[in-house]
Amino acid sequence: MARLLGPAPSPVARTLRQVDWVVLTLTIAICSLAVLNLNSAGIARGYGDWSGKVRSQLLFMGIGAVAMGVVASINYRVFYRASYAVYALGVGFLLLVALVGDTLNSAERWISFGGEGSKFGFQPSEPMKVALVIIVARVLHDAKDRKARTLLLAGALVLLPAVFVIRQPDLSTGIILVFIGLSMVAVHQLTWRAMLILLLVAVVLFGLGWSFSMEGYQQDRVEAWLDPEAHADGIGYQILQGRWAVGNGGFLGRGVGRGTQNVLGFVPYGDSDYAFAIYAEEWGFLGSTFLIALYTSLVLWAINLASQAEDRFGSVLCTGIAAYLFWHVVLNIGIVLEFFPNSGLPLPFFTHGGSNVVSTMLALGLLMSVSRSRKFR
Amino acid sequence: MSALREQERQAKEALRKRLNIALGVVVVVFVTLIARLFQLQILEGEHLADEAERNFIETVDVEAPRGRIFDAKGRALATNRPAYTLYITARPKVIDPSLSEQERRRTKPKREPIDDDSIDQLTRLLDFAGPVDKARFVQDIERLREDERNGRYQYAIRSGLSDEEYARIVTRSDFENWVEIRRSSKRYYPEGELAAFITGYMRQISAEELEAAPPGSYRLGDRVGKTGIERERENDLRGRPGKHSRVVNNRGVPVSSPPEAALEVLPEDEEPIPGQDIHLSLDMDLQRVAAEAMAGRKAAAVVAMEVDTGRIIAMLSVPSVDPNKWEGPISQAEYESWLNSPFKPFVDKSVQEMYFPGSTYKVVSALTMLNDPAFDPDAEVECERVIKYGGVDFSDTHRCGLVDLDEAIVQSCNVYFFQLAIDQGLTLAKMKETAELFGLGDRTGIGINAEARGVVPDEAIETTQGQFQKGTTLNVAIGQGNVKSTVLQVAVLYAAIANGGYVVTPTLVDRVETFDGRLVFQTEPKFRNQEPVLSPDQRDRLHNALAGVVNSETGTAYSVRLESVRVAGKTGTAEVGKEMQTSRTDVAVIEGWDTAEDHAWFAGYAPADDPEIVVVALVAHGGTGADAAAPIVMRLIDYHVGSRGAGEDSPGRRAPGVPPALPGQEVLPGAESED
Repeated sequence: MARLLGPAPSPVARTLRQVDWVVLTLTIAICSLAVLNLNSAGIARGYGDWSGKVRSQLLFMGIGAVAMGVVASINYRVFYRASYAVYALGVGFLLLVALVGDTLNSAERWISFGGEGSKFGFQPSEPMKVALVIIVARVLHDAKDRKARTLLLAGALVLLPAVFVIRQPDLSTGIILVFIGLSMVAVHQLTWRAMLILLLVAVVLFGLGWSFSMEGYQQDRVEAWLDPEAHADGIGYQILQGRWAVGNGGFLGRGVGRGTQNVLGFVPYGDSDYAFAIYAEEWGFLGSTFLIALYTSLVLWAINLASQAEDRFGSVLCTGIAAYLFWHVVLNIGIVLEFFPNSGLPLPFFTHGGSNVVSTMLALGLLMSVSRSRKFR
Repeated sequence: MSALREQERQAKEALRKRLNIALGVVVVVFVTLIARLFQLQILEGEHLADEAERNFIETVDVEAPRGRIFDAKGRALATNRPAYTLYITARPKVIDPSLSEQERRRTKPKREPIDDDSIDQLTRLLDFAGPVDKARFVQDIERLREDERNGRYQYAIRSGLSDEEYARIVTRSDFENWVEIRRSSKRYYPEGELAAFITGYMRQISAEELEAAPPGSYRLGDRVGKTGIERERENDLRGRPGKHSRVVNNRGVPVSSPPEAALEVLPEDEEPIPGQDIHLSLDMDLQRVAAEAMAGRKAAAVVAMEVDTGRIIAMLSVPSVDPNKWEGPISQAEYESWLNSPFKPFVDKSVQEMYFPGSTYKVVSALTMLNDPAFDPDAEVECERVIKYGGVDFSDTHRCGLVDLDEAIVQSCNVYFFQLAIDQGLTLAKMKETAELFGLGDRTGIGINAEARGVVPDEAIETTQGQFQKGTTLNVAIGQGNVKSTVLQVAVLYAAIANGGYVVTPTLVDRVETFDGRLVFQTEPKFRNQEPVLSPDQRDRLHNALAGVVNSETGTAYSVRLESVRVAGKTGTAEVGKEMQTSRTDVAVIEGWDTAEDHAWFAGYAPADDPEIVVVALVAHGGTGADAAAPIVMRLIDYHVGSRGAGEDSPGRRAPGVPPALPGQEVLPGAESED
């Protein structure tokens, strides 16, 4: 009431009030821990001391922050209109990868500019995840009923990029695309019965895939996951070393840059897939729970925004971003903690790589945009 | 309108419900992750931390400084010098380069055998004595890399690297996961050849020795004493290796500045316990005099021993190999030259080689007869130089005329002893009985260098070797035939005559001390017999005869007597059997060494009236005992006993070729201080 009587708020104050401080604070907190962790990982990998990958990650975060701010300041409905264009762009890049992509870890996931092995490049599958969230939100917004046609359209739009990605081959990114799409559909569209049927179909498909189409190395990984000790000399090594790193953290952790597993080079992929193992060793149970709480808060906040969004597009968008964060965090940490077999999925901000950092920040920018219009319609 | 609103409200309500369920699912999933963290970090944390520790702790053995060897005056014969030792891990941890980068990073570094190219790189940085040395080095690595068990440990592949080799290798970072140079020590023998057979030398432990050693006591690449004191006292000298732990990274390479957390959990280092020092009874001054006295002899040995205790104060066999040579690479050519040398530099001629004792054995024959009450030592025998027995001529070097036992020893008359064997009942069996009382035909028990037993023949032995001929007894009576003994055995024999019949067990070790000087073991004199093996009468009779050898004008060693001290002793000139001359080579003269020449012996003790030391010298193919061997013995006795009158401290070290000062003669100025 007092405000109505007072002078009009300054533009700065207005802007500040439009900012979603929950998203921003959580993002800054997670990014800070992520950079510290990458710096630790660098000790055993010949960069550290704020150079090498640490610097490039900071650069990516800077670029991502700018993108986040730009997206946050745009009305999210713009993306409703641009959704098909964005989607087409994403699929187009995937197509390009299939044709001219560079190989990283024996899979073609990479587009580089300026020739072979160039430092400048990106993985189109990362922005594809965001594009997918936008297009599925649009399809679900447009569908005012629960017709099968809507589901088929959404399914087709999800499967098209997923198939491209899986053929790279990058099974885990394909799976995460499907999971994000499914989560959105499940929350906003499916009846309970449909969900049950889908679950059954998924089980059958998984069984068939396991028997017929899984590559040898994928089966090995599953076997190593089930019994890492038996594969300790081979692919079980990473699992065991990760487990020892986590256990070595204890309650309070070994301290930043002081975990023996990391410093002495016993954590494979410590700056990518297994970044969490290093984090758990250095920060212990207390710090790990804190980090998981930060991610959980971000996901829960996104779900909260989904229920407050002023239209269905915004709501589904928030659900999609929640799913995007949720699946990355759960699958990545879940792999380190041996809930799932080994696979290359990034932990947002912790895993070194510009494509994921910028894409995640784009998604968070969208979240902030939805949040902004909720308050100031 | 209101219906639409109602519908919207319902839809919102349904969405909120679904989102609440999603919220619940998210919370449950994240709590599950935290539960797993609780399990790994709190419940299993300690156990998993132990596993993590096992990753990086590597424990290496630290060699203990080996005990030193000193002479009786505390001068070092064997000591240690700092050196670099090259260690290799023939199956180091490596990451298979053929794997894709993805698989490489996910897999554990494997132990892979070092490739030929790497071996080649390493060998190019080392200095070898020759192609054979190099080939052996490469072969050692190859054998090791095939051995899955041993190949994973560090192995001392080459010790005593030069500074240049060290510098060349440490700068190579590409060796870091399989080559390491550690500071260690190498053995140093300040006296070199002079005490070569006493100290012995060291070599890398052989596969057979390793097999025979108690498990865990030795490792491949350890050096062990091969001969001499180094071998006999290996267990005292060796000490106990320590254990040091260090932090290694995932490739097994030691980390220069490990994290504190790693240092905290390193097991405490166990320091090595240095080996014990051996103090010998040997006197290097006398040893040096012995070397000077034997200069020019192709193959010879001398032993000087205290008659009452058996303590050896000089013991030298020439030629020998400087034990320092074994601390570095030896070229195949050099090794073969030693191996094929007619002078046998690997054989300790004081204990390992047996010779006909020649006339030095006549004391055994004489004593055998003196034990016979029917024998009259004063009865004379006519020596006509030659005596016919069984159709064979047994001859002497000269004609002695009428001799009794005393004179037969003084003049070394063979015919007298032939006669005893022909008609006075001097049989092989009786001689053997006497000989064995003095320990002949058995090891003296000095304990170094694989002593020979010697041979004391009886009829049974003779028969097994062919037809026993009666003439054999005649030959044995003068120390020929098939009787054989070592220089040390003869020394024990004459020590027993000198000391009144006590057969000593010769000893080299005086005492053993810990590295910080605490006494561990002190040698006490040991005798084979409690009661003397000679009666005083017998001893006097023999002693007088032996004194006559040197001091009476008819004595065989009269010409080399000393003015400073009265010596008693016996010459020996052992004829080398015809078969000996021809079996080795058709050419009798090898490198100026006439192998048809007799072996020259002299066994003497002094002072004659109150004997302190016995000295026995043998010069193989040296000629007559009086000319070739006796001067050596006299020089040692003169140095040790004779010149003592000139003052206890006057005989210092002398330059080679400078004779010991005679009584009353001034020591040459400047001759004393050599070092």
